[in-house]
Amino acid sequence: MPVHVPGKVLLHHIPLKFVRDKVAGGGKKNVDQSLPMVPFIDFLIVLVVFLIMNFAASGELVAQKASITMPSAANTETLEISPIISIDDRVVTLDGTRVADTQTLAQNAQMDPINSLIQTLEQQKRNWSILHPSEPFPAAVILQADVAVDFRVIKKVMFSAAQAGYSNISFAVNKTGGGGGEGGGE
Amino acid sequence: MATIDSGGGHGGKKSVDQEIPLIPFIDLLFCCIMFLLATAVWNQLARISANQQVPGQPQNEDAIPPEERVRLMLQIQGSRYRLASSAGDSLDIPKNGEEYDIATLMEKLDERKRLEPNRRDIIVAPEDGVRYSDVVQAMDLVVGAGFPEMSLSDGASLM
Repeated sequence: MPVHVPGKVLLHHIPLKFVRDKVAGGGKKNVDQSLPMVPFIDFLIVLVVFLIMNFAASGELVAQKASITMPSAANTETLEISPIISIDDRVVTLDGTRVADTQTLAQNAQMDPINSLIQTLEQQKRNWSILHPSEPFPAAVILQADVAVDFRVIKKVMFSAAQAGYSNISFAVNKTGGGGGEGGGE
Repeated sequence: MATIDSGGGHGGKKSVDQEIPLIPFIDLLFCCIMFLLATAVWNQLARISANQQVPGQPQNEDAIPPEERVRLMLQIQGSRYRLASSAGDSLDIPKNGEEYDIATLMEKLDERKRLEPNRRDIIVAPEDGVRYSDVVQAMDLVVGAGFPEMSLSDGASLM
């Protein structure tokens, strides 16, 4: 759609020409406008630099849940793909599937294994060995828990994961300032 | 398009003004912004790793047991930290009111590291009832103090 030069819109019906010219403006004005490109490009460059600083090659492996407030830590490593066990104040889930109740685990002092968790992890372990026959099994799970969860619950989940063959536990945390750990920070 | 005006071109001289093509440059910036926005990760999540194999214990029964060595433990109890070793020495760091005394723990871990600079392993052993945030805080301090081969164990099983 072409852009037309705007004409007189207001007061053009006044019959007296000198009044019309006086009130509505008589002379032809240049309607070209210059766009300030330099600040615009500056803004774009700042935006690109900001987004590059936030760029993470590993992607978003762990989704942050509303019901879980994760702790913060400075000496961290990069997340790797593993089964994710989430623990909030109500339920324990493995990759989004409920496997136990947090309150039940917290109340019982006995070190009972969580059978549904063990079975699902064992199934994932079998699948992994079929899909990656030549690679060693990493035996790692990511544990994403709320700050207020009792360690007894964590202990039972870790115990069950170990029974299923997952002895390396990665605790998902919010990364704060400071350096990476010796294990290779981000 | 933007131009660079050198002020020449008068008196029969050839103009040396140059035009910089800004439109393709802006297009490139927009493509970068679209790509970076689509792949942006807004929450900076990371991990602290721990294993459940207590150092000094064989992983299976057929394996040759490793040489017996003194194990260093950080117990997280309801009212204090306890830095202890299997040699029998122990050091209590009581809470400061409701909070654990992180500064003293850091100091003691640094001292321990100076005494045994080659040691990389430590067992973190929280008790039942300790909040998960306090456990992570202690693990963070331990890794930061130079003990990256950290094991997490049940406090009661090490008593």
